[in-house]
Amino acid sequence: MKALEKLDSHLQSRLTDLNKLKEKQKIIGYTAGGYFPEELALACNAIPVCFIQAGNNNILRDAGAYVCRWFDPFWRSQIGYLTSGRDPYYNIADLIVVPITDNHVRVFSNTLGYYTPEKESFVFGVPHVKDKLALEYYHKGIIRLRKKLEEFTGSEITDDKLRQSIALCNRERELFRKISLMRKSGSSSISSKDFIKLNHASFLADKEFMIEILEMYMQEAGETAPRTESGTALLFTGSTIARDDYKVMDIIEESGGNIIIEEFAEGIRPYWNSVNTEGSLMKNLAESYFMDRVCAGWFRPGTERLNFLIRLAKDYNTDGLIWYHLMFRESYKVESHFFPDMLKKETGIPMFVLESEYDDMEKGPMRTRIETFLETIKR
Amino acid sequence: MLVAGIDIGAATAKAVILKDSRIIGHAVRPVGYDVKIAANEVSREALQDANLSISMDDLDFIVSTGYARESIGFAQKTATEIICHAKGAHFMIPTTRFIIDMGGQDSKAIEVDSEGNVINFTMNDKCAAGTGRFMEVMAHILQVESMTDMGPIALESNDPCRISSTCTVFAETEVVVLRAEGKERKDLIAGVHKAAASRVFAMASGLKCEPDAVFTGGVAKNTGMKKFLENEFKTEFLVPDEPQIIGALGAALIAQTHAGK
Repeated sequence: MKALEKLDSHLQSRLTDLNKLKEKQKIIGYTAGGYFPEELALACNAIPVCFIQAGNNNILRDAGAYVCRWFDPFWRSQIGYLTSGRDPYYNIADLIVVPITDNHVRVFSNTLGYYTPEKESFVFGVPHVKDKLALEYYHKGIIRLRKKLEEFTGSEITDDKLRQSIALCNRERELFRKISLMRKSGSSSISSKDFIKLNHASFLADKEFMIEILEMYMQEAGETAPRTESGTALLFTGSTIARDDYKVMDIIEESGGNIIIEEFAEGIRPYWNSVNTEGSLMKNLAESYFMDRVCAGWFRPGTERLNFLIRLAKDYNTDGLIWYHLMFRESYKVESHFFPDMLKKETGIPMFVLESEYDDMEKGPMRTRIETFLETIKR
Repeated sequence: MLVAGIDIGAATAKAVILKDSRIIGHAVRPVGYDVKIAANEVSREALQDANLSISMDDLDFIVSTGYARESIGFAQKTATEIICHAKGAHFMIPTTRFIIDMGGQDSKAIEVDSEGNVINFTMNDKCAAGTGRFMEVMAHILQVESMTDMGPIALESNDPCRISSTCTVFAETEVVVLRAEGKERKDLIAGVHKAAASRVFAMASGLKCEPDAVFTGGVAKNTGMKKFLENEFKTEFLVPDEPQIIGALGAALIAQTHAGK
């Protein structure tokens, strides 16, 4: 598709472009998880970029000097990229914002403060329960963030600028939502890999350009003939789907699976809800980013997310669910033991669990498991 | 109808020649360094065992399975070893409902229906605990000629040593320490079996182990392991004749269903 080609070309020159833009604008790097409201950075004329690169086992060796092996490989990768400088987005960021969602992110933020003190950072906590007090805590966190960004950029975040930024981000969320819904039939030409790549690109690309690309992509996808053979319809879920961690998706596709909907805490932009542009904008941001979005696996109780998965499986009429979590991501690992029974009882569909440490050696056994799982569904 | 199934596993290559649902030849050999050579050699030996002076090209259909299934150029179709073990075990023992397969590098637990179709399954992660490789390493340390020969020695023990580590490397250290403490060899060997069986039991804990339970793979030749698995699962395990070729047999059975099409 032309939209994807145009996007690739934008990303190829993105670092060069950012280096030029850096002379006049601040670049705000932030960690994955969806709790950093990009609107705040955009409203003070800064450029948000999310650190979403991972999937390569080599970087874990670099991280080994700072963190033990028994740790989520995505966050170990971030520690590796941060300390080695092998992800240029870490080098280009003027400020690094870390919304602390769980222990893995906390360790990353400790590394950031301890081993790279020359990098300016801002850390705020994200509670694990959705209630009034937790919302208030998150709200206060993003108010502190707003103040930090205003001081750091020297640009006041006015209500008008914030409203414009929210409208821009709402448009992006709306387009992702529409593209996702286009796949409901199971025969859409939109592949999951394209959808996820669009998500990953949206964490790095210029916001207005990204919106243009999404509009163009949606139009092209609408004009493309549907697939003649749709394959086994799958819901793909887990803790993290990083930029360049496409191994599992490739194997699923090559084995005749067709992922038609995904849910990931890190790597997919929460796109189901929009932020209200009326009333207190900061409260609206807190409501949307903390309360309205589907929570991650480390929240308690975890039932909200699991019920959401059951709803997605039903709404998208999927034949099976592939659960892909990273090694040492305990909350997901625990759920992966009891959720298959819940899912089977509610939807009748089977679930299959895969675990990864970004190791190439995993490919062979993963292929065997995926092929067998798809074969058992087909029958 | 003459078909073949080729199973290129981590340690051994296996081939089965099937004529009208009857095994007429089979072979097993180490894989070595080249999977293609192993596939050619094991096929040639299986044809020889079947007293056939033909080449693989003359067969009606060939299915490959195992880790290197995609690399076997002369196979018309591939199938996963899990599907093949289910088919093969069901062919040998039609009442099969649950299978433990312990191969060279991995172990699997498979639930099957009355037709030999896979209902549910699980496989070990990238860890040698509970596999043939684990048993081979232990046989080497305890100076037993082969992994299979350890079985009868393990059965002599009334007091298996406790080996708590599930990692092959750490378990090796534990065995070395226990040996230094003067533990009897038969108790050490029994402890190794118990540790491997308990690892497989933990792996299969999410599956229903209903009779008839069948034990396949190269490790199924070890009588001690059968007993220790039975102790863990609290059920009898049936071992088919030639348990090592069950995957290749399943592949040949799949070949048979495709040959007529």
